[in-house]
Amino acid sequence: MLKAFAIQTENRIASLALGGIMVLPLAEIASRRLFGTAITGSGPLAANLTLWLGMLGAAIAARDGKLLTLATAEFLPKGPVSAVAHVVSGAIGALICTILALGGAALVRSDRMAGDHVTAGLATWVADLALPIGFGLIALRLVWRASPLWYGRAVALVGIVAGVLLNQHRAILENQSVLPWFGMVIVAGVLGAPIFALLGGIALFASLTQGSPPIVLAIMAYQELTTSTGIAAIPLFTFAGFLMAEGQSSERLLRLFRAWVGWAPGGTAIAAATLCAFFTLFTGGSGVTILVLGGLLLPALMGDGYRERFSIGLLTASGSLGLLFPLSLPLMLYGIVSQKASIEDLFIGGLLPGLLMLGLLAMLGVREGLLTRAERRPFRLSEALWALWEAKWELFLPVFVLGAFLGGVATLVESAPLAALYALIMQRYIHRDLPAWKDVLRVAADCVALVGGVLLILAVAAGLTDYLVYTEVPTRLVEWSQTHIHSRLVFLLALNVFLLLVGTVMDIFSAIVVVVPLILPLAEVYGIDYVHLGIIFVANLELGFLHPPLGLNLLLASVRFKKPVLEVTWATLPMLGILAIGVLLITYVPWLTLGLLHWLGRGQ
Amino acid sequence: MSALKRWLVALPLVVAPALLLAAGGPIKLATLAPAGTTWHKALLDMGNTWKNDTAGRVTLTVYAGGTQGDESTIIKKMRPETDQLQASFLTAAGLAELDESFNIFALPFFFESDAEEMAVEKKLTPILEQKLQAKGYHLLSWGTGGWVQVFSKKPLRTLADVKKAKLFTSKGAEKWVDWYVKNGFQPVALLPADIPTQMKLNPGLMDTAPIPPYLALSLQLYKDAKYMLDLHVAPLTGALIISTAAWNRIGAEDRPKVTAAAQALEKRVRAEAPALDATSVKSMTERGLQVITLDAKAAAEFRAAANQLTSTMRGSMVPAEVFDMAVQERDALRKSKSK
Repeated sequence: MLKAFAIQTENRIASLALGGIMVLPLAEIASRRLFGTAITGSGPLAANLTLWLGMLGAAIAARDGKLLTLATAEFLPKGPVSAVAHVVSGAIGALICTILALGGAALVRSDRMAGDHVTAGLATWVADLALPIGFGLIALRLVWRASPLWYGRAVALVGIVAGVLLNQHRAILENQSVLPWFGMVIVAGVLGAPIFALLGGIALFASLTQGSPPIVLAIMAYQELTTSTGIAAIPLFTFAGFLMAEGQSSERLLRLFRAWVGWAPGGTAIAAATLCAFFTLFTGGSGVTILVLGGLLLPALMGDGYRERFSIGLLTASGSLGLLFPLSLPLMLYGIVSQKASIEDLFIGGLLPGLLMLGLLAMLGVREGLLTRAERRPFRLSEALWALWEAKWELFLPVFVLGAFLGGVATLVESAPLAALYALIMQRYIHRDLPAWKDVLRVAADCVALVGGVLLILAVAAGLTDYLVYTEVPTRLVEWSQTHIHSRLVFLLALNVFLLLVGTVMDIFSAIVVVVPLILPLAEVYGIDYVHLGIIFVANLELGFLHPPLGLNLLLASVRFKKPVLEVTWATLPMLGILAIGVLLITYVPWLTLGLLHWLGRGQ
Repeated sequence: MSALKRWLVALPLVVAPALLLAAGGPIKLATLAPAGTTWHKALLDMGNTWKNDTAGRVTLTVYAGGTQGDESTIIKKMRPETDQLQASFLTAAGLAELDESFNIFALPFFFESDAEEMAVEKKLTPILEQKLQAKGYHLLSWGTGGWVQVFSKKPLRTLADVKKAKLFTSKGAEKWVDWYVKNGFQPVALLPADIPTQMKLNPGLMDTAPIPPYLALSLQLYKDAKYMLDLHVAPLTGALIISTAAWNRIGAEDRPKVTAAAQALEKRVRAEAPALDATSVKSMTERGLQVITLDAKAAAEFRAAANQLTSTMRGSMVPAEVFDMAVQERDALRKSKSK
């Protein structure tokens, strides 16, 4: 009873923060339209709410065991081996998290002494509290979930104690080799510690061994989640996606795409891929598409006579297909992180490459359709028009969002709350797929847990980036490659391989935060357009989602379709192959990206 | 604890500071000035001078282009409990986070010329040095980034025109937004990254942006904002500061050398900034930018109204005593010139 209440309270607070970052910018847009001016303090307030949303959401994800992990732990044999792995990874994760929490506490003290304010009436140190509270809760929960047995938990608790001690005596780490610590962190990651602990642990031990205190990581986490207003777009677009995923939106869209392309060989396959691309726009490639749509699309495909293996492969590959189209979160994040390419140019640049990837998958669909003589539906204009009418609200969402931007009502980042509001009104009042506010809160709580996991990774990834820049890795990388790589083509090939590796081990958001600053100076040296670089980046990472053994989509599809990872991997191989051709085309034919931009008189 | 153990624990405490004193230590400096710009090069050269003049006891690493975070992050990293960065080259906006007195340099239409800015800078240096000292920082030298000008999509000729324009203001600078609103402007709080985008859109959220010419050139703003009101809005004053802790680590014999090189940097950017402004404006006019210069009468009207405006900042944006000192110094210079 008490536990249920505590859980609900925690969910409500985080959902409230989500509501706040949605309402504040909307109020600002309204005030600008009505009174021609902004509302004082709303910007910084919304930004700090994003920090709280991220940390509390992550704590909720930790509570529910929803923090993203590597796929490797799936391969461990069940039984005692996996039980021990759980305890070990839990203890090491808790150790890392404890030191991060103490770094957060140090930031609270530091900002308190400096007497800084976020905005009138809100001291910075109060906002900072999100860090020690969030990391602290996560550490405790990692211990709790390390084992169902009290004995196991007691062992995992050692992690927290060790964290406190290590933080106190961190001077002993200075100028020591970092390798054993990296080894420990990587082992924990392989055994199933969350990805944020892996990235955070690497950043932490790298910093500690060269004498930087953990407060630096807290400073970077704070900056990452508060100063860039673009970050707030991630939870809001995800919320829009979650709202649409509830109820009948996906059915309506599937019916629409089928009605229009179902007559063609492979029609249902094409419709399924297009639908996945449309959804991924909003969920940002965190793999939600597979979880949400898998249950609808697999039976639809198999019902029309497609083979199971093909269907699973197609859906696994489609799960990250939308990332190159306008409104894609990774493209926005690249624009924000790089500060060199405008987000609109990225959206325009991504159009043809996105269509290319979709087209390549569609070709596989057509081939499969012809081979298996899967069912084709005759084209009926009345059905096509009716389906279009039925899905008009869903289809209008991207139009609405882009219209608000192009019409000078909101910036692109501000359009995220508009999208969330639109989806909310559509699902709550127009389609009534969410009959009561209670349902909206449930969706919000689900969304907050997922988003918290992503924001947490971004927050610690910022610390890792900071360490790399601080130790001048980008500069050295430029020097090294200038002496070793003399042609642009070789550089691009090396970039492809490197990004594919990154894409297999890192999620797309942290990959962008950590790797983009490393690559930017190199791109400048080799004369690669920043928009083109962004598209290459996202296309490669998209491919990384499917790459064995660690691709995230493989794992999620395995969970969703209840098939072993190896079987899913096998099923996805043809798609991986054809999309790899797409990535190479995108990399070596810059026209695909830049042609449209130049035609419109944009770009550099 | 045995005597040996106690000794072992105490040893690093005694030896480390002594070593640091001797070393002066590596100085890590962060700035928002982009890599490859005049300011970045000047900082790198200053680092070389430090190294040579102190026989390698003081070395400098420069992180340009905001790679160490925005200015408030940079300041957090300079605090003694963090000590990740020891120095920074900050804009007036960043310095104002340490002490509001620095806002004096960012007031729109307060200064008319470099001479006025420098006179006020000189006058205020002792008091600002003190204020920085109280926060744990040491002022090494001043710097400048040229003058902010008004770039707009529509031609602006009077203060009334400027008030009617949708004026870019930095998101997060709440006090400034408030001030603009109270004085009849129409500020739109956005991110600097939004400027080129919104200028391209029709209608965009904003149509007028006060920014330095070199930035307008590199952002290719002149393509969309075809007009520049040549009415020096404000100087882009900056300062080179070092944390007191790091300053104290530098040996007494090296400190004058470090200061001398920093002041050489100040002199250099002072000389280079106006030239950079001029060449930037020139290459933009060659590509279609129209520069609007006010005739004497219109300019005088503008200034009179602007004086009225800036006086409302006394006490709210800038501490009254600092504001008064600045006005006194500036007006004295104006008077002596008009004679």
